Amino acid sequence: MGGDSKFLGLLYISPFIIGLVVFTAYPFIYSFYLSFTDYPLMTAPVWVGLENYIKLFTHDRTFRKSLTVTLIYVFTTVPLKLVFALFIAVILNYRLKMINFFRTAYYVPSILGGSVAIAVLWRYIFASNGLVNMFLGSIGIEAINWFGDPNYALFTITLLRVWQFGSAMIIFLAALQSVDKSLYESAAIDGANKWQTFRNITLPLITPVIFFNMIMQTVQAFQEFNGPYIITDGTGSPLKSTYLLPLYIYDEAFKKFDMGYASAIAWVMFFIIMVLTLIAFWSSRRWVYYAGDKRS
Amino acid sequence: MATQSSTMTDIERETERTNRVTRRLGRISATVRYLILAGVGLIMLYPLIWLIGASFKTNAEIFANPGFIPHEPTLDGYVKGWQTSTPYTFATFFWNTFLIILPKTIGTAISATAVAYGFARFEFPGKRIFFSALIAILLLPNVVTRIPQYLLFRDLGWLDTFLPLWVPSALAGDAFFVFMLIQFLRAIPRDMEEAARVDGANTAQVLIFIVVPLLAPAIVSVCLFQIMWTMNDFLGPLIYLSSVDKYPVSLALKLSIDTTEAFDWNKILAMSVLALTPSLVIFFLAQKRFIEGISSGGVKG
Amino acid sequence: MAGLEIRNVEKVYGNKFKAVHGISLEVRDGEFMVLVGPSGCAKSTLLRMIAGLETVTSGEILIGERVVNNVVPGKRGISMVFQNYALYPHMKVIKNLSFGMRLARRPKDEIDAGIGQVTTLLEIEELLDRLPKQLSGGQAQRVAVGRAIIKKPEVFLFDEPLSNLDAKLRAAMRVRLTELHQRLKEQMGLSSTVVYVTHDQVEAMTMGDRICVMKDGRIMQVADPVTLYERPANAFVAGFIGTPEMNLVSATIRSGSGGLMLGLGSQAIQLDTLVVERLEKERTGDVTLGVRPQHIVPALPGAVNTLEGKVSHLEFMGHEIYLHVLIEGQPFISVTQSAGFDRDAARDSVIHFTLQQDAIHLFDPNSGESISLSD
Repeated sequence: MGGDSKFLGLLYISPFIIGLVVFTAYPFIYSFYLSFTDYPLMTAPVWVGLENYIKLFTHDRTFRKSLTVTLIYVFTTVPLKLVFALFIAVILNYRLKMINFFRTAYYVPSILGGSVAIAVLWRYIFASNGLVNMFLGSIGIEAINWFGDPNYALFTITLLRVWQFGSAMIIFLAALQSVDKSLYESAAIDGANKWQTFRNITLPLITPVIFFNMIMQTVQAFQEFNGPYIITDGTGSPLKSTYLLPLYIYDEAFKKFDMGYASAIAWVMFFIIMVLTLIAFWSSRRWVYYAGDKRS
Repeated sequence: MATQSSTMTDIERETERTNRVTRRLGRISATVRYLILAGVGLIMLYPLIWLIGASFKTNAEIFANPGFIPHEPTLDGYVKGWQTSTPYTFATFFWNTFLIILPKTIGTAISATAVAYGFARFEFPGKRIFFSALIAILLLPNVVTRIPQYLLFRDLGWLDTFLPLWVPSALAGDAFFVFMLIQFLRAIPRDMEEAARVDGANTAQVLIFIVVPLLAPAIVSVCLFQIMWTMNDFLGPLIYLSSVDKYPVSLALKLSIDTTEAFDWNKILAMSVLALTPSLVIFFLAQKRFIEGISSGGVKG
Repeated sequence: MAGLEIRNVEKVYGNKFKAVHGISLEVRDGEFMVLVGPSGCAKSTLLRMIAGLETVTSGEILIGERVVNNVVPGKRGISMVFQNYALYPHMKVIKNLSFGMRLARRPKDEIDAGIGQVTTLLEIEELLDRLPKQLSGGQAQRVAVGRAIIKKPEVFLFDEPLSNLDAKLRAAMRVRLTELHQRLKEQMGLSSTVVYVTHDQVEAMTMGDRICVMKDGRIMQVADPVTLYERPANAFVAGFIGTPEMNLVSATIRSGSGGLMLGLGSQAIQLDTLVVERLEKERTGDVTLGVRPQHIVPALPGAVNTLEGKVSHLEFMGHEIYLHVLIEGQPFISVTQSAGFDRDAARDSVIHFTLQQDAIHLFDPNSGESISLSD
């Protein structure tokens, strides 16, 4: 505006700038540096070049296991959660009378899900004599040793995340509700059935939201910590089958105080997330529909 | 005339039949949808319901009764769980949680509002770069910055204080909230703010007297989300707090798992229920704010 | 008590788009100046620069004697009525009115006096305790005007304040605003210089002391309504002002046996001496002919010096009829009295038309500038 300094905006975002420099940019660069050092916390960091990375990829079987587990976890959790969220959102999008009730009910797990208390609850309901096995028993299925069997343990962690599909669902629902109703009417006049309408009208129009949800959920899934940490007491048991990378990084950094090595793991993980994000953005040109240039 | 009227009734009859079929199909499909929704809802919420029931059960009953209603209701879990195996009761831990939440939330509200206002309403040198940085932080995994942050707080002498939990948020560190408020602000026409400028307000007065009241619902959403996430936060306190007397509920709960005798399950379940109660109460009191916040701003969790 | 002066003002946006091209304009003290033009002509941008809501890229804006380029909006001595009224939705009407004075920490009795004066003037006493969402369009409009008046500014700025009202209310408010402008001078002793932006030429013609017609960030003409209507400086103004629109067609001027001839295709008429006298000397060749529909009328029987055209379409408007005519392939509209006009006979028929030559306009076909003004 006339008479205002052009630096006025900078004044308002100054808290952000300070935070950006002190708590993000500087740590970001410093952690990259640390990943090339040996830094046992008590002494100063010593430059070791690529040694941490070489060790990671050649000698460290725990890392390989942890990385595999993490990738399996991310690539099962995210699609399951998104498909489930979209499915429920589509059902809710019909003008049902109790839409608000269901929307709220489904959202509760998302609000509570990250908490220690819910992880505790998970421990109990998937315990060998817990709620889930009691139900399975009552319908004649043999009890499953959820946390004892490496084939199932990661699945329970996945379920914990998928259970929290509520926030993704609400975003889908908002997107579905913002689709212009006249498009549906027009499609109906053109003779499209429900599935064709969904496939050709609804789905393309909400691709930006699908994309957004996909990216956010992926980044978050890579960082899952509370669930496996609480459920397995930080061990990632059995046989490291739930030992996600954040647990490994936590152990290296805050139990063994091997800051250099932990930073290297963090950077490998960051690199993977970055590559996946870039692939997603690159591919989005092919499948994400943007109406006009409404984004500013 | 006679033939004509009979054709009419044929058409009417056919229309009536079609309508009936459509209505019936509609009813069936609605029923199916309700069944799915109710079924999924039950599966989703039953663990929580069971948790509440189980917290009033005896230890023997917890792993024997999948039902909600306890056979021999007892407050044992609550009474014993509250005492903990430490010198402190859960009252201390709830108080600590409150002490972490209050400054963090206030700091978030103020800084996120000011920063969103700066981004949404001003042009300034470097705006594009800073906005890109904001989006980048949104996507940046905390894992990468956590270790240097820890070292930084150590060097500042902030370890085992609440400062590492407060300060980054008070400097608009939660990019998600800033982004959410920017989205809200962009949807508010600027006329009111311009009218206030013409009325003689400076930009700070515009922010306080016009923008904040208009943005109030969104700011409340931000506060509510911050309260919830802070309550759920475990890793932050785990890394930065070492004295038990500073533990928030999340850490205390983990501590009681570690220190409780293997068969004293109902203590832990009871404390889990208590730990969830504030979140549940806040959520049910303000669910509209949460849903609006999530719908318009983006997502996390 | 102040006028407004705009000197060579330009506006270039960050993306290098030049919205305003070196505009200069003087608004006299107490004058009601209307900025009018089609959308995108930068009239609102100019108004917002006067208000201080947009920065001025180059040039100067003076309110009174003071250059205000670097003065914040609140200190320019202006007030503004916005298109959407921009009432503060969370404040009651009374708080909306007094917001500016409260910011300036005026004493309470002064604020109360101001509110009293404004509410009486605008008859909004009963609205004081309402929130903006409880007001009708017309009421909100009056409150917005009240909020502008209470500041007793040197210059009032209006940004399309009537465009959100329905047609009937708009006509009523047009009259009210003009009356108000008078009353402000008489009752409150305010000089009330007004700059009023609209895209509606009827609003401009009925309200403005003077009108500034703009196009693509440039001023096309500044004049009082009568001059604008009778002596448009260029083809754009000629076409923009007046309904139905002035006919603008290609024609040629050539020398004939008895003086200058105006040719339309294969037809031609003799130009009156009064037209020739006003015409730039020695001007022949291609021109744009501008003639208002009222000034090209069906010829009386036996009239000479007429143009022949085919009626393609008739619009019955009540006491008038719009004849859509093709003369040498170029479309004209002619307005004629409906009384005594045989519509059935006229349909698809070929009729002769007379040009009222004292009211025709001739423009340069390339620049659009008038070539028939030099008295």
